[in-house]
Amino acid sequence: MKILHIFRSRPDETVDSLMVSFSDQEEKKTALYEADVDWDALVDDIFSSDKVISWW
Amino acid sequence: MTDNIAVLIKDRNRQYEGLRTSLGLLLEMAEVKMFVLNHEIENMDEAYSENMEFIDEMEGERYSNNRDNVEKYGFEFATLPEISQMLKQARLVIPF
Amino acid sequence: MAQSLGILVSSDKHLDYVINLTEAAHKKEKEIHIFFTGDGVKLGLQPDFIKLVGKAKLAVCDVSFRAHGFHGREDEVPGVGFKDFATQARNAEMSAECDRYLVL
Repeated sequence: MKILHIFRSRPDETVDSLMVSFSDQEEKKTALYEADVDWDALVDDIFSSDKVISWW
Repeated sequence: MTDNIAVLIKDRNRQYEGLRTSLGLLLEMAEVKMFVLNHEIENMDEAYSENMEFIDEMEGERYSNNRDNVEKYGFEFATLPEISQMLKQARLVIPF
Repeated sequence: MAQSLGILVSSDKHLDYVINLTEAAHKKEKEIHIFFTGDGVKLGLQPDFIKLVGKAKLAVCDVSFRAHGFHGREDEVPGVGFKDFATQARNAEMSAECDRYLVL
């Protein structure tokens, strides 16, 4: 299972704790609060992932 | 992965909004687990209380890692690592 | 049939994220559905909201819109018709029917 984690803001301790169980799976992470988001690539990642979680 | 939806409510100002969304999903026959994280329910008014009862009647599940929510409002206690495991089983995760 | 993307917008902080993702997905010929709820309904009255029109099917939570005191201003929200001021059921349908679903 491929998981895409999207972060709308910098992850806090709660997010870090909630993500722990996913660490044994294939993960990709995208931070929207960074300046250089590749939105085209993000769309591809969304549709090539089995599950997408858009954290706070 | 079962076909269920996890609604995560971390923002104190959006506790009611998350509850309404959980109920909307339940009414459309989704299996819903609602998690109120970290904070006690700030405004347990009539609207929140009634909608919470609907959640129970619709067999939605309510969890919190805050002991006050467990003792005062009947949430089931779950730690963040336990909640993390439940998120892994969810088809969708909806953070508020 | 085009792949579909459902976006729940529950915050008024990130209209730029919504627009950027919608424009990128639209270019790739994805079918996009967006439901605005909670504080997200405020975005419907922002000038840049019009950038979403024609690229996504837009709907707004009527209860949230009214709760923010915006009732009477429905016609100021471009691309959202009377029937698209909807209940949370619209979000539930979107979550069930779209190929991918996320929150912004």
